[in-house]
Amino acid sequence: MNLQRWRQAAITRLRRWSVRRHGADVLPMRINRRRIYIVPTRFGLMLGALLVAMLIAGLNYNSNLGLAFAFFMASLVLVAMHHCHRNLLGLSVDASLVADALLGTDAEFHFMLHNESAVERRDIEVRMPAPDGGGADPAAASACVGHLAYEPVPVAVATARRGICRWEQFELRTTHPFGWFRAWTYVHAPLTAFVAPRPRGERPLPAAGMGTASVARAQVRGEEEFAGLSVYAPGMPLKHMAWKVLARGGEPAVRIYSDLGAQPEWLEWSALEGLDPEARLSQLCRWVLHCEAGPPRPYGLRIPGVEIAPGHGASHRARCLRALAAHGAAAP
Amino acid sequence: MSHAPSPATRVTFAELKWMSVCLALALAAYIGALPPWILVLVGAACAIRLGRAARGRGAPGRWILLGIAAAAVLVLFLELHTFNGLAAGSALLSLVAGLKLLETQSRRDLYVVSFIIYFLCLADLLRSESLGLLLYLGAVSWLTTATLLRLTPSAPLPPWPRSLSYAGRIFAQALPIALVLWLFFPRLDSPFWRVPADAHAAESGLGDSMSPGDIVNLALSDEVAFRVRFQGDAPPAAQLYWRGPVLHEFDGRTWRRGAAGFARPAAIVSSGPAYRYLLSLEPSAHNWIFALDWPDRWDLAAASLNGDYMLVQSTAIVRPIDVAATSHTQMRAAEPLGDAARARDLSLPPARNPRTLAYARELRRAHPADRDYARAVLDLFHRDSFFYTLEPPPLGENSVDEFLFDTKRGFCGHYASAFATLMRAAGIPARVVTGYQGGLYNAYGDYRIVHQSDAHAWDEIWIEGQGWVRFDPTSAIAPTRVDASVAEALAAGASAAGRWRRFSWLGNVRLELDALGQIWRERILRFNQLSQQRLLANLGIPEPDGQKVVAAMAVGLGLAFAWLAWQIRREQRPQTKDPLVRAYDRLCRKLATVGLERRPCEAAETFAARVARERPDLGRTITTLCRRYARLRYGPPRSPKASLSFAARVRAFHPPRTPPGGASA
Repeated sequence: MNLQRWRQAAITRLRRWSVRRHGADVLPMRINRRRIYIVPTRFGLMLGALLVAMLIAGLNYNSNLGLAFAFFMASLVLVAMHHCHRNLLGLSVDASLVADALLGTDAEFHFMLHNESAVERRDIEVRMPAPDGGGADPAAASACVGHLAYEPVPVAVATARRGICRWEQFELRTTHPFGWFRAWTYVHAPLTAFVAPRPRGERPLPAAGMGTASVARAQVRGEEEFAGLSVYAPGMPLKHMAWKVLARGGEPAVRIYSDLGAQPEWLEWSALEGLDPEARLSQLCRWVLHCEAGPPRPYGLRIPGVEIAPGHGASHRARCLRALAAHGAAAP
Repeated sequence: MSHAPSPATRVTFAELKWMSVCLALALAAYIGALPPWILVLVGAACAIRLGRAARGRGAPGRWILLGIAAAAVLVLFLELHTFNGLAAGSALLSLVAGLKLLETQSRRDLYVVSFIIYFLCLADLLRSESLGLLLYLGAVSWLTTATLLRLTPSAPLPPWPRSLSYAGRIFAQALPIALVLWLFFPRLDSPFWRVPADAHAAESGLGDSMSPGDIVNLALSDEVAFRVRFQGDAPPAAQLYWRGPVLHEFDGRTWRRGAAGFARPAAIVSSGPAYRYLLSLEPSAHNWIFALDWPDRWDLAAASLNGDYMLVQSTAIVRPIDVAATSHTQMRAAEPLGDAARARDLSLPPARNPRTLAYARELRRAHPADRDYARAVLDLFHRDSFFYTLEPPPLGENSVDEFLFDTKRGFCGHYASAFATLMRAAGIPARVVTGYQGGLYNAYGDYRIVHQSDAHAWDEIWIEGQGWVRFDPTSAIAPTRVDASVAEALAAGASAAGRWRRFSWLGNVRLELDALGQIWRERILRFNQLSQQRLLANLGIPEPDGQKVVAAMAVGLGLAFAWLAWQIRREQRPQTKDPLVRAYDRLCRKLATVGLERRPCEAAETFAARVARERPDLGRTITTLCRRYARLRYGPPRSPKASLSFAARVRAFHPPRTPPGGASA
C-alpha cells in the first residue's frame, strides 16, 4: 500500500511539473512529442526481466540462434515502444469544457479526437483523474480513431455531491499495441461540471394558484396572441411545434404565444421558509425542471446573491441550474 | 484485488482459444523432447479451460489448481530428479503455461502465458540449431504477438489479417535493430556457469577402447563425425589420417588407452608443408578433436595436446564446435622414447597368442632392420590370402593367433591389432591409433564430410632416429580380396541415405543441401568474436578489437533507430497518390520550415497573399506557384504533364530562411 501511495505522489508531482512546463493549453490541441510520457507497464517490466533471462541463456549456451531470438524480442519491445508513442503523437483533442448534471446522474463530458495521420490510432483512453487527486477511480472512456477521422468520446463522471467540480487537466493514454508500454499526456484545460442538487421537495410553486390559472387560461384559444417563432429546445411542448416550418425543411421551431395575462413565475429562495439550504435548493431545482417542462412561460430565479431574470428554454434552464449548483461554492 | 474480474477485463473465449493455439504450436516443437504426459496435461488444461469458457464459466477453484500443480511438479521431479538444465526447465515452463491458462480469469493472465510462449521458443532454439526450427518459431511468436494485439477491451476488434499484418510490420521494423545487436553484441568466451549436459546427448563415434569388430558398427553408420575445410592446399585423400584415441594396452583381445594420454607431448620437429584447415565437429560423448596427423597450432583455448599428440578439449564436446588448426604430415622426434613409454608399447599379454609370437621371432631373424620387418609384415598381409570383410568370424581368447593363422578375415581393427602385436613381439614399440580416414569431398562447398563410416584403425611404430611412423596394414590388402560384402554393405549402408550418398543423383542433392547446411553452420551458428572482428575488417576498419565492435554496435543502432523513426513518420503521413497534391503539400512543408505555416482555413491563393505580405521577397514565386496550383486543381482538366512540371518547380524552390536584405518583414 505504501508503494501505491508513493506512486500516487509521483504522479501528482509529474502532473504539477507538466503544468509548469507547458502552461495552460488551448483547445483543440495537437499532441507534440515534448509532452508525451512513456513508461513500461507491469507487463513491460515482466518482459524486461524475461529479456534479461533470454540474453543470459543465449550467452551462456553460446547459442547464436538463442541470441538471435533474444535480440529479436528486445528489438520488438523497442519498436513496440515507438509505436506506443506514435499512437498519441500528432493526435488532436478537443473537449466540451463544461458539463451539467443533476446530483446522482452522470456528468457527461464530450471529447473529440481528430486523427490527421494515415494510420489508425487504437485504444486511446481519455481519463479524468479524480478531481481532488484522491484514490477514487478516475472516469475514463476509450476509443479507436480511424485514419483521417474524427471520433467523439463521451466520458461520464459520476457525481457525488452538489456543487462545482473542476479538473485542472485531463489525460490521454494508450497501451497500444501490446500493452507493454503506457504512453500518456496531460492536457491542461480546465473542465468544469456543474452538479445541480437532486430535484426533490413537495412544495407547490409559489404562485401555484396563479400558475395553474394561467396555464388554464393558456388552453383557451383567443386570449393568447401569437408572438412569433422560437427555436425548439428539448422540453418545449410538442403541441406548439411549428410543423409547417419543419416540413419546409427549416429548423424545428415552436410557436410562441404571448400571454398577456401570464406573469413571470418567480422561484424564490425566500418562499421556502423552514427548510435547510440543501432542501431549498432541491426544491428550487424541481421547480425549475417543472417550469421548463410545462408550457413556455417565463420563470425567474432568486437565491441569495443571484437573481436570474425570467426566461425560458434550455439555456435559461442551464443558467438556473448552474446557479443552484454554484450556490455556496466558489465561483468557477 | 478482487478474485472475480470485472466484465471489462474478463477473458473471452476467443482470446483463450487463440492463446491456447499459440501455446500448442510452441509445444509442438517439443514433441519427442518432453515427457509425453506433460504435453497431454497441458493439452487437457487448455481443453478444460476452453470448455468452461464456452459454457460461460470461469476458471476452476484455486485449491483444485494448486493440487494439480503440486502433483504435476512432484511427478516431474521424480521423473527428472532435477529442475536444472534445459530439458527440465522447458518441462517446468510448459507445465506452468498450461496451469496458468487453466486458471486464467482476466485478460492479464494471458500476458503471462504469452511470455512463457516466448521463452519456450527461445529454449527450443538452445536445444536445436536448424534453420527450419528458427523460421517455425518465428512464425509462432508472430502469431502470439498478433494475439496480444487483440487482447484489448475495445470493440470492434480488427479482422485477423489486419492484426497479423500490423504485427508483421512491427516484426519487420524490429529486424534491422535485431540484426545490429546480433552482429555486434559482445560474445562470451566461456559460459557464466556450466550447463548440465542433457541426458539425451549423442553417444556415437569412436570409443576409447577397441575390441575386434567394434568399428564395424561405425562403418554402417551414416552420421557425420565432422566436416573439414582446407584453406589452401590439401593433402591427397589417401594421406588424410584424422588421429583420435591412441591405444597402448592390449590384453589379448581388447586395446585400451591406458594412462599414456596424461603425459606431456614429446617434442617433435615437423617438416613438409603445413596444412591449414577448419574442423567443424559434431557433438560427441568425448572431448577428442580429430586433428590431421601432427597439429601445431589451433584456435581453441580450451584444447591442448596430450601425450599421444592428440588434440583434446577440457570438456566433452556437447555442442557443435569449430576449430581452425594447422598440421604437418611429416615429423621427426626431437627426443628419444622414454623407458616407461618403451616398456608400455612393447608389453604383450603373457601366455596369449603363442603362435604369433613364434612367427614374429622367426620373421625377425630374416629382417633385422625395423623398417624391413614392418614391410615384411605388410607383405604378408598382401601376399597371403587375407580378406577384408565386414562380417569377420568370431574370435576367441587368442584373437591374433586365430586371425593370422585360421580365419584370415577381418576389418581394419583386426589388421591394426595383429600388426601391433607382431611389432611388439619383435621388440619394436608399436601402438594402435583410431580415428578417421579420408572423407567425402563436397565440391559444392569445397569441404570434406567425414562420416562415422570413415572410422579407421592403424598403427604407429617407433623407429629409432625418426620417431613414430604410421603404418596402415589394412591398405596392404590386395584390392581383389576386399570382400564383396564390404562394398555391398557400404553401398546399402544401414540406411537408404547411405546409398544416396554414394551412388545416385540424389547423392548430389544431398551434398548440395549439406553444403548449404555448412554455410548456415559456419556463418550463423559459429559466429563469434573473431567473426565480429573479421566483419569489421571487411568494413574497412583497421585493427578491429572488442571496443571497436561495441562502437560499431552503437553506430549501427543509431542508424537502425533513425530508419525506424523515418519508417514511422512515413507511415503516419497521409499518403495521396495525386502528384499535384503531393507537390503542393511539399511546398507548404518547405514554407513551414521558414516559419510560414499554412493555416488549415487558408486556400492556396489566400495563403500566397499572406506569404507575399510577410515575406515580400518570396511573394512573386509563391503567388505564381499557388495560382498555378489552384488552376491545375480546380480549373478544367489538364494533362498530367502540367502537374509534373509544377512538381518540378516546387522541388527547385528553396525558400531562404531570412529575406536577402537581412531585415525580416
